[in-house]
Amino acid sequence: MINKYKLDKILMKVEKPSRYIGMEQNMVQKNPEDVDVRFAFSFPDVYEVGMSHLGMHILYNLINNEPRYSCERVFAPWVDMEDQMRRESIPLFALESKEEVRNFDFLGFTLQYEMSYTNILNILDLAGIPIHSRDRGEEFPLVIAGGPCAYNPEPLWEFMDIFVIGEGEEVTLELMRLYEKHKKRGYDKRRFLEEVQASMEGIYVPSLYDVSYNDDGTIKERFSKLPGMPETIEKRMVRDLDSMFSPEKMIVPYMETVHDRISMELFRGCTHGCRFCQAGMIYRPIREKSVDRLMELAEKLVDSTGYENISLSSLSSCDYSQLHLLISSLMERFEDRKVGVSLPSLRLDSVSIDILKEIEKVRKTGLTFAPEAGSQRLRDVINKGVDEDDLVNAVSYAFKEGWSRIKLYFMIGLPTETDQDVMGIKELAYLVKDLFFKRPPEERKGNFSVTASASCFVPKPFTPFQWHGQDTIEEFHDKINLVKGSIKDKKVTFNYHDPRVSYMEAIVARGDRRVSSVIYRAWEKGCRFDGWSEHFRFGSWLESMDELGIDGSFYANRNRDFSENLPWDFINPGPSKKYLQNEYTKAIKGEVTRDCRLGCTGCGIKDCAMWGVFN
Amino acid sequence: MILRTRFTKVGYLKYLSHLDMVRLFTRTFSKAGIPIKFSEGFNPHPKFSIGNPLPLGTESLAEYMDVELAEKISPDSFIERMNKSLPEGIQLVECKMIEKSTSLTSIIAWSHYEIRFVSGKIGGDVDIEKSLSKWDSIPQVHITKKKKKGKKKVERQLDIKPLIGNVIYKGMDDEDFHTLSALLRSGESGNLKPIELVEAMERELDLGIDLDMVMIKRLEVFANEDGEIKELA
Repeated sequence: MINKYKLDKILMKVEKPSRYIGMEQNMVQKNPEDVDVRFAFSFPDVYEVGMSHLGMHILYNLINNEPRYSCERVFAPWVDMEDQMRRESIPLFALESKEEVRNFDFLGFTLQYEMSYTNILNILDLAGIPIHSRDRGEEFPLVIAGGPCAYNPEPLWEFMDIFVIGEGEEVTLELMRLYEKHKKRGYDKRRFLEEVQASMEGIYVPSLYDVSYNDDGTIKERFSKLPGMPETIEKRMVRDLDSMFSPEKMIVPYMETVHDRISMELFRGCTHGCRFCQAGMIYRPIREKSVDRLMELAEKLVDSTGYENISLSSLSSCDYSQLHLLISSLMERFEDRKVGVSLPSLRLDSVSIDILKEIEKVRKTGLTFAPEAGSQRLRDVINKGVDEDDLVNAVSYAFKEGWSRIKLYFMIGLPTETDQDVMGIKELAYLVKDLFFKRPPEERKGNFSVTASASCFVPKPFTPFQWHGQDTIEEFHDKINLVKGSIKDKKVTFNYHDPRVSYMEAIVARGDRRVSSVIYRAWEKGCRFDGWSEHFRFGSWLESMDELGIDGSFYANRNRDFSENLPWDFINPGPSKKYLQNEYTKAIKGEVTRDCRLGCTGCGIKDCAMWGVFN
Repeated sequence: MILRTRFTKVGYLKYLSHLDMVRLFTRTFSKAGIPIKFSEGFNPHPKFSIGNPLPLGTESLAEYMDVELAEKISPDSFIERMNKSLPEGIQLVECKMIEKSTSLTSIIAWSHYEIRFVSGKIGGDVDIEKSLSKWDSIPQVHITKKKKKGKKKVERQLDIKPLIGNVIYKGMDDEDFHTLSALLRSGESGNLKPIELVEAMERELDLGIDLDMVMIKRLEVFANEDGEIKELA
């Protein structure tokens, strides 16, 4: 355990010290004597971001539910805390016991976005744990990682002992059980890793594989170094969400966090088939929880947290087949306890707004819609199944019901995009404005504003656009300037993401093993919190690539051939490569693919849970 | 109906900010089913006020809060229900009904603190009792107070001696921390933070105090009635 007085000394000097103390309601602290396997769960960002992540609350309670296992939390100390910890030689500790992270059996990272990877290296370093897997012997924790970004594990291959591919509920406990067995008869890291890889699904031990390259830098071959290791890694997926472990409590932070309410997962997966969306592909097939189960969970969560709001979080929550029943049941059950319900994302239709009207009785804050692309042609390319009429109807309806602030989300740099498509962003924003001011003055409620936000498109693995070359930073800037220069109205705001961040994100997202050295070098140069604009150091990233002779555009901007071996091809996420290729081909032609609720679209997933329901 | 309640803030929870405390109590009222009164208006909030916010990192055995209730509940039941939901470091210890809420911040005039620190000199080069007699004999001790006036930062000199009731040395514990007990002015009509006292004493008396390792705990607060120090009504 770290020195309590030293900790006190530095906590007096940092901003928001309550990030580092734990002790929140529903925190689980176990006596180390009673515990056989200790797991440190790390969200590699600052406390208030990590605490808003539902996956952490699930795994935390899942592991702590096991009598002989414990799970504690580790976040990235903010830069002021890092300075103090290094100055006072305080190693990184877990919030619950204040025990040093290096004394745990497992250190597990959740990979939610690529620009958090330097934080992972920094966390290992602050914990006094060697950063490279090969340098860690039995005296150090097993360092593992999972989450959506683990679907392309290679950019982190040197640092992780094990990757977990897919949903973690079952495989995390399986891993811990096998480890416990090994620990009892003398744990040998190498032997353990080999057995895990050979015997468990959804596991990738990168050190057991090797890769060779062609002269042009593409991948020639992947091979396992040992016999008996699987060639393809199948993702893990929980079949029945009702019987799956679901948390009945959540830690309630003292400080204000990004997502300060109960998060309740309605279902996993998504049937829309938007071609840019990785989550929509890798979480297939769709699996719902029942209303009965959700009501039972809601009751327990409200009792255990005292929160006054339940957020219904899923990829596209309005798709939940029993949404009306669920919402009216929740409203009825919690009416006298002043507990509200909220939806994090909205579909562009009046049905969604009707629901919203029901749940936001008092305050009509802003409404957010995501048309994603400015023109109909481009929305067809990305298979975003909404058209302008949907937007017009939804927005008009919203204005009639008293909303006055609208946010629109777009991406720029989508495949086949022209200047005309880009200008569609401005046109849609102006259309929204006109819809408001065309209303008779006595029917205009509130203070109107519309904000159009554009992110720079980052092609992701396991999407139909995984072969597509990203726009260059210059092209992004040209497109941004085009929109920016055309908007001359105080009521219309245009925001955009930094193309330099999206460029780095694209390099890492579709990187291979060689990108890991770039991440390491960038971290050495002081990169961390790259997702925070005030800490993003593009110069250091460019220097790192330069010094290592790595060409960023090879990863980010190059169009890849269908025949190329992609770095993540050895993982099976469900949908087949052939399906993704088909979708890309259809995209370029502007052909849409229907929502697979309306009939199977042949994505290739084995034993699709919804086959019987939808067909 | 108004309840005046005393509570603790100890251990790591001393790092909760005033805003964190407000959020914690708001949630706890709802969780414990306390029939608290809500303000009128568009965005109703529960009516309660915490007196004399502590500096971040200071422990306390004597925090006070006034809570307005919509229906009557007994002080005992209030304590019991709240404490079930509150964390270990923040617990209600006393509670009574009061007639009218006079703002706690205006009533509280003195705070009694325990100040723990490490020093390489006390017991060696420094005789603490002699140093304290010297301290008592200094007529005026000025410190620099920084204040923000609008955008400008203004500095002013302040004699802290009138803000000090007493300072007593209590000895050294087995963790090698020395303890001072200090009665200091607190509240709207004069306020001295314990750390300001320690910094001034170190400057004047050269006690060898590590100013990064000063542990402060508020033990009691007092009202001022016609110039006399009184327990809180």
